Amino acid sequence: MTSSGVELLHSPALQYAYPLYRNMLDNSIVFMYHGPITPDIVVDVLGIVEERLEESGEERRVSKKLFNIMVESFSLTDEGKANESILLVRRLPYLYSVSIGRRIRTASVYEVRSYLDTVNLMTDEQIRSEYYRLLNDSEPNSPILVGGLPAISILDLARKSCGYLHYNFEYLDDDYSFFSLEARIDKMQQKC
Amino acid sequence: MEALRIESTHKTPRVILDPENGIFEFSGRSIPEDALGFYKPIFEWLDEYAKSPLPITHVRFDLEYFNTSSSKNILEILKRLEAIHTNGHEVRVTWYYDEDDEDMEETGQDYQALLNLPIELSVKIQS
Repeated sequence: MTSSGVELLHSPALQYAYPLYRNMLDNSIVFMYHGPITPDIVVDVLGIVEERLEESGEERRVSKKLFNIMVESFSLTDEGKANESILLVRRLPYLYSVSIGRRIRTASVYEVRSYLDTVNLMTDEQIRSEYYRLLNDSEPNSPILVGGLPAISILDLARKSCGYLHYNFEYLDDDYSFFSLEARIDKMQQKC
Repeated sequence: MEALRIESTHKTPRVILDPENGIFEFSGRSIPEDALGFYKPIFEWLDEYAKSPLPITHVRFDLEYFNTSSSKNILEILKRLEAIHTNGHEVRVTWYYDEDDEDMEETGQDYQALLNLPIELSVKIQS
């Protein structure tokens, strides 16, 4: 083996490949994206996931639901070429899970957490009614924000996933925290 | 009145507003980069059309997917149609959805609940 071959074998990048693959496999992650989110990237990602769903023979009703949740999840990512977010899709025996992760201002954590807690306690009817209020009251293209996130997108995800939104905040520093949000789709559940 | 025709892209819907041929249609997907930039000419066209609408305006919505930012703009379009309807010129809206897409069906029901406008929900015929 040449010296460059030895170097390649022990390159740090290659050492990460297998653990990452193993991690994805062990956690049933069928799709992962990390990078900037732009409408072009959204379309490309949706295209890839749509193709994978078709290949897997997933029921169309479930595929559509997953797809719609992904479309809205992107509204909660840090849009723009300069910012980065992650998107994960997990496929478990009875459910799909779509998670986004992004940086948010640490000063916004309390507001976002409080809003999510409130939404998680709402009944389906309360969520619908609040969704209607936001849809009707806000100006087009000036959504009502909660800690910098469009409140209507959170409600939309709560409606589409028929229930609880799982979330987490990781403190990074005084300026930023990492926010992750997961919406689940119960494959067996029919309409909410 | 001159028709408004906007061809679809992979991020924006096809829009045909053609009173001469009686075609009013929105189809495709809507996740525009600049939602206001995309929808503003449609609002302006409808405001002009409202001054002298056809006796009956039949509008088809056949959308594949869209985000909540577009939902709000679609509501604004429907509110303009509602105003035409309220002013005595009949407007009929047909909201098409894939039979497996319960979210698109529910969105049509949302608009039915929010507006005083005849909106018929119709399952798409699979080709």
